Amino acid sequence: MTYDTEALVVGGGSTGTGIARDLAMRGVDVTLVEKGNLTHGTTGRMHGLLHSGGRYAVADQASAKECIEENRVLRDIASHCVEETGGLFVQRPEDSDEYFREKLEGCRECGIPAEELTAEEAREMEPYLASDIERAIRVPDGAVDPFRLCVANAVSAENHGARVETHAEVVDLLGDEDRVEGVTVRHESVSQSDTDRDSSREERADGDPDKREHQEPGRTEDIRADYVVNATGAWAGQIGEMAGVDIEVRPSKGVMVVMNCRQVDTVVNRCQPKGDADIVVPHETTAILGTTDEEVDDPEDYPEERWEVDLMIDELKQLVPILDDSRTVRSFWGVRPLYEPPDVGSDDPTDITRDYFLLDHEERDDLEGMTSIVGGKFTTYRMMAEEISDHVCEQLDVSAECRTADVPLPGSEDASVLDEGMDRFGLRSPIARRSAQRLGSRADDVLSSVDPNPVVCDCEAVTRAEIQDAIDGAGSDLNAVRIRTRASMGNCQGGFCCQGMAHELHPEYGEPTVRRALDELYQERWKGERHALWGEQLSQAMLNYALHAATMNRDEDPAETGGIDYTAFDDGVDAPGETGDERGVVPDGGNHANSTGGRTADEGDYGD
Amino acid sequence: MSDAENPDDEFEPVQVFGDEDGADLRPGSDDCYKCSTCDTNCPVAEVDDDFPGPKFQGPEQWRLKRKEDHDIDDSVMKCSNCMRCDGACPSNVPLSQMHNTARGEYVDEQMETLSREYVRNRILSNYRFFASLGSKVPRLSNFVMGLGITSWLGEKVMGISSEREMPEFATQTFREWWEERGGKAASKKRAREARAEREGTKVNSPDKRIAYFHGCYSNYNTPEVGKAMVRVFEHFGYEVVVPPQRCSGTPMFANGMVDDARRAAETNVEEFVAAIGDGADVIASCTSCSMSLRQEYPELFDIEGIDDLSAHTYEAVEYLRIYEDLDTALAGADADFPDTAYHAPCHARNQGLEGQAIEVADRIDGVEATDVGDSCSGISGTYGWKSENYDTSMKIGSEMFDHMDETEAETGMTECPTCAMQMEHGTGYDIRHPLELLEAALVEG
Amino acid sequence: MAIEDDVLVIGGGLAGVAAALTANEDAQVRLISHKQSTLRHASGLVDVLGYTPEREGPLVDPFDALADLPEGHPYERVGIDAVRSGLALFDDIVGDAYAGGHTDRNALVPTHGGTVKPTARYPRAAAAGLASDERDALLVGFESMTDFDAPLAAEHLTAAGVPFEARGVTIPFPGDFRADAKVTRYAHALDRNEELDGNDGGPGTPARRALAEAVKPHLDDQERVGFPAVLGDDDPSGIRSSIERALGVDVFEVPMGPPSLPGLRLEDRLYAALEDAGVRVATGNPAVDVATEDGRVRAVYVDRTGRRVPYHADQFVLASGGLVGKGIDSDRETVREPVFDCHVPHPTDRYDWFEDDAFGDHPFARFGVDVDHDLRPLAADGTPEYENLRAAGSVLGGYDFAAEKSGSGVSLATGYAAGRAAGEAAARGDSTSATATTHGDTK
Repeated sequence: MTYDTEALVVGGGSTGTGIARDLAMRGVDVTLVEKGNLTHGTTGRMHGLLHSGGRYAVADQASAKECIEENRVLRDIASHCVEETGGLFVQRPEDSDEYFREKLEGCRECGIPAEELTAEEAREMEPYLASDIERAIRVPDGAVDPFRLCVANAVSAENHGARVETHAEVVDLLGDEDRVEGVTVRHESVSQSDTDRDSSREERADGDPDKREHQEPGRTEDIRADYVVNATGAWAGQIGEMAGVDIEVRPSKGVMVVMNCRQVDTVVNRCQPKGDADIVVPHETTAILGTTDEEVDDPEDYPEERWEVDLMIDELKQLVPILDDSRTVRSFWGVRPLYEPPDVGSDDPTDITRDYFLLDHEERDDLEGMTSIVGGKFTTYRMMAEEISDHVCEQLDVSAECRTADVPLPGSEDASVLDEGMDRFGLRSPIARRSAQRLGSRADDVLSSVDPNPVVCDCEAVTRAEIQDAIDGAGSDLNAVRIRTRASMGNCQGGFCCQGMAHELHPEYGEPTVRRALDELYQERWKGERHALWGEQLSQAMLNYALHAATMNRDEDPAETGGIDYTAFDDGVDAPGETGDERGVVPDGGNHANSTGGRTADEGDYGD
Repeated sequence: MSDAENPDDEFEPVQVFGDEDGADLRPGSDDCYKCSTCDTNCPVAEVDDDFPGPKFQGPEQWRLKRKEDHDIDDSVMKCSNCMRCDGACPSNVPLSQMHNTARGEYVDEQMETLSREYVRNRILSNYRFFASLGSKVPRLSNFVMGLGITSWLGEKVMGISSEREMPEFATQTFREWWEERGGKAASKKRAREARAEREGTKVNSPDKRIAYFHGCYSNYNTPEVGKAMVRVFEHFGYEVVVPPQRCSGTPMFANGMVDDARRAAETNVEEFVAAIGDGADVIASCTSCSMSLRQEYPELFDIEGIDDLSAHTYEAVEYLRIYEDLDTALAGADADFPDTAYHAPCHARNQGLEGQAIEVADRIDGVEATDVGDSCSGISGTYGWKSENYDTSMKIGSEMFDHMDETEAETGMTECPTCAMQMEHGTGYDIRHPLELLEAALVEG
Repeated sequence: MAIEDDVLVIGGGLAGVAAALTANEDAQVRLISHKQSTLRHASGLVDVLGYTPEREGPLVDPFDALADLPEGHPYERVGIDAVRSGLALFDDIVGDAYAGGHTDRNALVPTHGGTVKPTARYPRAAAAGLASDERDALLVGFESMTDFDAPLAAEHLTAAGVPFEARGVTIPFPGDFRADAKVTRYAHALDRNEELDGNDGGPGTPARRALAEAVKPHLDDQERVGFPAVLGDDDPSGIRSSIERALGVDVFEVPMGPPSLPGLRLEDRLYAALEDAGVRVATGNPAVDVATEDGRVRAVYVDRTGRRVPYHADQFVLASGGLVGKGIDSDRETVREPVFDCHVPHPTDRYDWFEDDAFGDHPFARFGVDVDHDLRPLAADGTPEYENLRAAGSVLGGYDFAAEKSGSGVSLATGYAAGRAAGEAAARGDSTSATATTHGDTK
């Protein structure tokens, strides 16, 4: 089976989806393949900081300037993904005055609005800041939801005619040693598209070939392309290996610790030259503590260690003391796709530039038809995508201009949904507000689509309508539903809601698929929750375990284990019935005689 | 120090609130594990699905909040502030504190200050102010309150349920009685006499002194409870003082009138902390009042001495059970007191005091007190007074009425004055206070 | 001394109640409980042993397997007789409200997750739903209740190989309830048979009839109908009976997760039994500290909003629950029992507290105090912490109730055994009665 496309993008992170959107808007026929969910690699594993550029204002002013520029663009085109929290660089007594001054000046030099605050002013903004801080600098940092942004880019790409394939891993490259002519992918699903908005659910439910079955062992497909973009970040070397070229990505891991709730509503940075554990980002309902910077060999297999989690809490409690007693719900690690030209040779990954590099393999390795993009950071994804799209268009002789800085992403077309007097869609007001914040301008369409519309995930206030909408886009993969909606990302970590989320798949998807989807989500939640198992979260984990194992017996599900001799167990037949029974009929001891107990519908005694 | 009422104790009908930010209680959601035990304990959610239950109102709503958000769901006004959720949570979520603070924010930010509901709520929550007017001419007030036209106006104009009988004002307030009796000098004398009679009893504070927080209701409506309290404590050798005081704040919290409550609290903290400095412990005869001074004050306000007041406040019977040998004192006592159907107020339950009245009654010969179970009376202070809540209130109370009906007794007993109103309203029984029982057994018996 | 009893039980769950009722036969007992018990989280099923610690099962006869449990398992500590006595106590308390006592065999009860699980006693309300009963079943779910998807559960049961045909249907609950109405709201409407507006039942139809009418069109030839467990709090049998008469078939409930009405009903039964027995009960305040003397506990201090009030007794039973009930607490470094500070064995590194598989053999699930054969908690050196302190229920370590399906059985057996030993010791007057404590220490 072969499919032809003009441009093929490998990698469904922020860069890849950004490129797909950019190219599609310029009229290029583009296909994107991703081996997992959208955001599966690095994008879904970042702390959610929308840089003002302040963090780079001393050491790397070029990056700082890019950041503030893109920061402004994203507030505009992705308003439903961005929360304008503002940020603080906080100086503690032991932190240098000189660096504080350099930071303030650096910000001004880079055009980053920066204002010095006294300790009192900073604490008025953020009451949980330590009482002994010296002062702070206020900058326009923000929080961004990488999942929502990435999905919005993919949806926009599709709306402009792109084909987006998730769960499609590149297993080989087409072409020869001189030229890349496409890829071979192995599908883990039989969907045509992860975010397919064209095929209605009814069609798919009727056995349309596009219907996506969760984790079905799939087929392979050859996708021939005029030009291939390798946007796989930390995985770029693996694609390079298939092409026989050397791409020296230096993956570096960093831990992110997720708190149960927001201790701060502003991004809080420590005003220090560099170091681990120096930032707290308010993210949706949580605060995320970050991070470490440790080079690893394999972006998919590296140790996740206790000391990293402890370090976040023990260091950051110096800025925000309440963190020491606060509940963490999970931790996760991300891998930065750091790259430096072979001649630099930094030892410490923190010294490697955060800049991005466009590696034209024709120019670099005499291999035509493919370019890799490596390095860079989330905040400037659009700028990177623009640059590489320019390059691709040059190769394809397309002259259209980039429009991604001006055209809002789907969901951000109209920011007025959050205005006072917003429609509550019959929901409790905090639920309506949260839903509207996530859905942006789609809120009305989505929330009015289902009646009744109960809340499925209490922690994050996600209603059935939003879950159903995500299933429309993501199919039976509940982790993909999770990243679209935040359902199961709150303090119960899915213990109470993952079951309800799975129920929403039925009857569109059959029972075995629902069961597998539920297990997969539950395991994924557990994977991160393991790093938070003490205090309240350990109690939560025990309650979740009791609910799923003791109450539901999901650990010994006979549908999985099989082989039960039902006749050997108590069937209730010999059980004595109720005595002194007020009903005056045969007791309800499960006794078969009940059905001959003379009860008929006509007798119609409905109680008092 | 004069025992006269505080002169600046005035009701300010409508006032624009200051811009003081409410406390950030989001960290309180750290303790929630979504088990919903609080919801199963909520007497409102079980009869009214417009109220989404304490889990949503408390930890969920708080956790969903961003700093700039000002949209507390209006259903917070349906919470009756019974505080049963506090006792339910296996994990120490500060539920009632979350409700009180959210309600305060809602009233501050979202409720129209000229709306009928707002004015009505302020009147109900500032009962003491109107009671102090009414009690100046109690017979006239009782007559006016009893007029059908008054009820009708209350319902139509104010949204106060005409089903409710307005509480009757006593012809002599507790404080008037107390002054007439000779105030604290007389109490000191009586206490000394009692101590001399009861040699060898262990003494808690060397002074054996208590400061009585009578609250509004024992002062204006049921002074017999206050009198019983004074006599019982004097019997055990305690000198009673009655500092100037304002409303405990319970009805104000329940209506989100946190600023009114703060003003009252400032007076109460100042006066009672001074009494504590003189060696007194603070005793309330109403369980909502003791709850407020003990728990809600330090949760909601930051006033100097407030923790000291919290640490020294007790409910009356609780205090005697801890510091006096009640079992021995009651051994062989009998009392001329009717059999009673006892209802433990939610706020007594919350303080772990729900079993004590029955235990005490069991010691007294010839008195049968039957616990009518753990249901809520449904009135929750001012809640059941509002027209829109009347039906809900009576639905909640119906279980208690049924259980009262099932006992042999034809008199009720409870520590809470508004529960007492509801019990009387639902059954027509005369309602007494456990202190009156103790008075009958120890002082009169 | 103000508050003094023969036996003080700390904890108001199944184990605490079993201990209090048993001790009460020999002594004056007080039970103190901080918060509502975790019974409201539980399904209301009373498991004894569904799977062995090696995860063999489901066990047809739990008693066959009890003798082979490893040393230190609570059942091994108390012995089979205590298990039987604990169950007998339970049967006595709950009377007709539960079934299953007629046989040693386990029953398989359908769960709201669509599986079946082995249990020893099941609420009468769940009796007609047993999976070994071969009658075809209709499961009914409600649109607004996201925890139970009846058609999916029916398919799951079929996949689990149940010997009957299961079909599911989702209907709106009659009446005009908000989508987030609590389970207690539905239960209350059915208890009181409230007149419900609108929907299928038409205007002003009593709730029970309205529900039956809503189900009727979906009933083919099934002989039993299952609902999520919301059918009443006060009058569940009356409600089932009404619907059964209307439909002409048996009605059963599928036990649900928290908040659990079957758990709530069971809790009501237990507290009624305490009241009938004259056990003194005080709730709402935590036990925070102890006064000890010569290796004995003299008093437990209860915190009443910052004020420590001593509760004296001759014998003490610790039944404060496990990690969920906060009888066992933890931080980043350690696991502890907060009231008596009893030794809780656990690995030093918290990354050894769990397995990487969500349903792995988690060490944390076994956290709790070790006890001797008299259920006295053991210090790190293997000697009893206190002569007159015993422990019962999920504060005990050495078993994984969720994997074994043994939670209620262990609570009953150890509650019974601890209560018996405490009551007898108090009646013997094992110690000189506690002596006077000054009031000063409470201020």
